[in-house]
Amino acid sequence: MLLLSEEPKENSESTMFLHDTTVIPKAPSEIDSLCEIVQVSQITKSGRKSSPVAVVREIPLTIFLNDHEIVTLLCTGAHVESLAVGFLTSEGLLRDRGRLGGVEVDHSRHIVRVSSSEDAAFAERLLGRRIITSGCGKGTIFYHVLDSLQSRPVEHHVPLRADQVRHLMGELNRRSELYRRSRGVHNCALALPEKIVLFRADIGRHNAVDMIIGECFLAGLSTQDKVLLTTGRITSEILIKCAKGGIPALISRSAATSLALQLARDLKMTVIGYVRGGNMVVYAGGEHIEP
Amino acid sequence: MIYLDNAATSFPKPERVITAISRYCREIGANPGRASHRLAREASAVVARTRRLLAHLLGGVDPSRIIITPSTTVALNLALKGLLHAGDHVLTSSMEHNSVLRPLHHLERLGITHTRIPCSPEGLLDPADVRRHLRPETRLIALVHASNVTGGLMPLAEVGALARELGLLLLVDGAQTVGALPLEPERLSIDLLAGPGHKSLLGPMGTGFLYVRPGLDLETLWEGGTGSHSESTAQPGSWPDRFESGTLNAPGLAGLAEGIAEVQERGVDAIAAHKTRIMERLYQELGLLPGVALYGPARRHECVGTLSFNVTGLASNEVAHILDTAYGIAVRPGLHCAPAAHQTIGSFPKGTVRVSVGPYTTEDEILALITAVEQILRYRR
Repeated sequence: MLLLSEEPKENSESTMFLHDTTVIPKAPSEIDSLCEIVQVSQITKSGRKSSPVAVVREIPLTIFLNDHEIVTLLCTGAHVESLAVGFLTSEGLLRDRGRLGGVEVDHSRHIVRVSSSEDAAFAERLLGRRIITSGCGKGTIFYHVLDSLQSRPVEHHVPLRADQVRHLMGELNRRSELYRRSRGVHNCALALPEKIVLFRADIGRHNAVDMIIGECFLAGLSTQDKVLLTTGRITSEILIKCAKGGIPALISRSAATSLALQLARDLKMTVIGYVRGGNMVVYAGGEHIEP
Repeated sequence: MIYLDNAATSFPKPERVITAISRYCREIGANPGRASHRLAREASAVVARTRRLLAHLLGGVDPSRIIITPSTTVALNLALKGLLHAGDHVLTSSMEHNSVLRPLHHLERLGITHTRIPCSPEGLLDPADVRRHLRPETRLIALVHASNVTGGLMPLAEVGALARELGLLLLVDGAQTVGALPLEPERLSIDLLAGPGHKSLLGPMGTGFLYVRPGLDLETLWEGGTGSHSESTAQPGSWPDRFESGTLNAPGLAGLAEGIAEVQERGVDAIAAHKTRIMERLYQELGLLPGVALYGPARRHECVGTLSFNVTGLASNEVAHILDTAYGIAVRPGLHCAPAAHQTIGSFPKGTVRVSVGPYTTEDEILALITAVEQILRYRR
């Protein structure tokens, strides 16, 4: 079977992926369940040939909260309980773990039903509604008011050394079996400075973050002493999810965006990007990183 | 929708205001003062009635000294630019609206200077400070009657007496007080008073006026057709035609007349007492909520029906957005076109959430606002 690969580049992580790909003879069964094999035409300089290739699964997942339909996400279909709970907590609809009733998954219809005794009416009315500023006075830089209501500046920072950052990003890549198989997912992990404690991958980088946040909510796992690792760009949405989830630092192999960095400065968060080939770019919170 | 943005414009308007505007457009339609046919005569009568009602409201002043304008801002510009000359100095306060501060800023290039007298953190002016900032070339005091941010009233009687004693002219920005409080320029030694038709007088937008006391003249800022003395290309000298070139907003003035009549029938004092009572409750109950910061005077009887607050940790536009989206409550966030006022009360550049009530605001609506703020505070992380 054809294994898709990135174009090899000198001093890039993609070179490592190629190397790693060659040492995995057979994907585990869980990975198999998240991929489909399709027949493709591969065109190279030497011509065309027909080959089977693994593509990552994509399903629509509809999340209900107390019988209210909240959203339909597109995802791989893995870890849908934590994805649903993570999405609801990220959006401010679930806040109190003690009042969570249950999480029911209908795998055949791709539906997750979450129940809670919390009154989510307030948040539901505000969900997805953009703040329109009038130009009279300095307004918020958040575009959704629920984000502002739940984001507070970081109080406890996680000191990191550059070698720990390199090690964590390498570890994130080594764990990404589904990526190596399909090239169709983003990887994400929650980590202490010295090790990854939770790894998730999904077709949506937002989903992968929500899975982690949901897992922490369900397990009562602390986030303020950990960092988030991701293969995706650090955009405002990802940064805000971390802020609301109480994660003080983000590390990515990709770049950060302007709005994400404005928010990071306001929220005193640490942002490190472009961790590749032993190098990295510290966008925000450099005082917490030891070279 | 619960409308708590009456300091921007009053809403709802009385049905009689809407009816009068509609009737003018359907049955009169003509241009006032521009012909002698019966419709034009009726149109002129509408404008004259509105002017008479305004004159009566202001304590029986001469109606010809009331210049109809499209807004308070236009009236203030006419007053400042029609009155001042190079070398003049103006005293004003740190609580002014941009409708005074921007014209004064513009006039600096013509050699007209001004001093903003600092007010207290509550936004109140000490009349003694007026004397302290006097200069030999001071000619005018330009003062807002009530802050459009805090609702706090300025000591107009004391400042008026001082202006009279010192031989200074007094221009009052009555945007928040005309129709909201008894306001008689001659009793308060006010030389010029600018006011809106669409706020506490319950008329439509596009209506306002400038009262100028008899004996005081202004330069015109625009010239043109007045429907009078058409044989001459020189601007007529008669009041108020001299300052009213161009077609007036006659349908709006028809509505304004009914708005004034409504206010007078309800009673200016009775409306003011109603607004003070519900705002006292709002101020007290918001003040009990940890995480709410209140601005302006605590003595609400020294204010019109406007107050400002903030919720710790949230921008004012976020609070306004939540109130609008989740509760259907309309308030105005930000700087309210009064940056100097926000600097004075310590809310610059963030601004505040401004609540302003009208004659039709109910106590239940105020309670709904208090409940909404309580819920926001509970939800806030």
